[in-house]
Amino acid sequence: MANVEGKATAITVLTPIKREGPLVLWAVFWAGRHIKETLKKLEQLSFIHYARWAVIERFPDEGDGEELGHEYLLFESNFNGTWDQYIDAFSEVVPLRMKAIWGTSYGFPGPLPVEPFKEYIRRNEYVANHYWSAYPGFTTTEIISAEHVEAALGEFQAHAAELEPEAFKRAYESLLITIQHDL
Amino acid sequence: MSNANNVFGQAYSLTVLTPIIDGHETELAEYLDGLPSGDESPLAGVHGTHFARWVVIDDVIYQGPDQGPREHLQHPRLLFTSNFDGELEPYLEALRTGLGASADTIWGHCVGYPGRDEPAFSRYLRHHQIDSSLFFAAYGDRTVEDVKRSLAVRAQLIDFALRAQGLAAPDLKAAFLQEFAA
Repeated sequence: MANVEGKATAITVLTPIKREGPLVLWAVFWAGRHIKETLKKLEQLSFIHYARWAVIERFPDEGDGEELGHEYLLFESNFNGTWDQYIDAFSEVVPLRMKAIWGTSYGFPGPLPVEPFKEYIRRNEYVANHYWSAYPGFTTTEIISAEHVEAALGEFQAHAAELEPEAFKRAYESLLITIQHDL
Repeated sequence: MSNANNVFGQAYSLTVLTPIIDGHETELAEYLDGLPSGDESPLAGVHGTHFARWVVIDDVIYQGPDQGPREHLQHPRLLFTSNFDGELEPYLEALRTGLGASADTIWGHCVGYPGRDEPAFSRYLRHHQIDSSLFFAAYGDRTVEDVKRSLAVRAQLIDFALRAQGLAAPDLKAAFLQEFAA
């Protein structure tokens, strides 16, 4: 059982979708893919590495798949921080989106207050048997910061050798100030 | 065929649900639970993987009478998900060669697993694939190599900045150029 690997936590949730749910989800996910604001909000939740939603119409088997009484909604996320912080942030930052998505599933109590929401996720969550990360020691923020640092350093390096020592020192110090929040 | 919803930037979200042979779920779960983590994990050998997991799903979870009659999976399922770099087909090949015998041990507990011969292996995984409806990646344009390189550069610069504190301009420039030689 391994929902945690270094700083990364896995969440896997599977819930049955109400009869009218698939159509609603189609629209919600379409908006999610096409309206930039949606993704901006997710970027604000700056501790998510990767997350996905998938609608399971039939559970795959050797034939055409096993059809249950309802379609199912699969959610998986890879994030840093604790499980409680994660659900708290979902509840506080994107409550309407949580309602639009999980509101199509049976039993969803709403994103607020947060305790019943947490209870719902806990009840419908599966623990990973094996979880792996290529860089378990790093948070999403550290990875994005490192990208900024590398880009800024690359720009600096492009002309650093040509500068006189005093001008080099000023440019170097200016570089460190520019990226200080990413270090 | 390739579904754009599985992709964010250059990142791909793979979801595979395979039926577990009846009675094998405990043995499979125990095997997965016992796999070593980090560099010793079989997934460490699968190039391009950012995050991946295996989850044994014994059954679906009943939500009460609102849902109607109780539902059950005919077979438990093994969920495999991965967030990886690039296209699906090369990644399935990376799984086949990178997991090696572990692939057989794991999916060998699943109905219809054909072994690692091609094209049967990749066809099996594709047949059991579920497309994403919405996929989000915080740095979807960055490969595993990009991420690791940036993190190493950042660490190197932090280390250098600490060491270089107080150096006079000529020494600073010389030390920098030596440290960060192109």
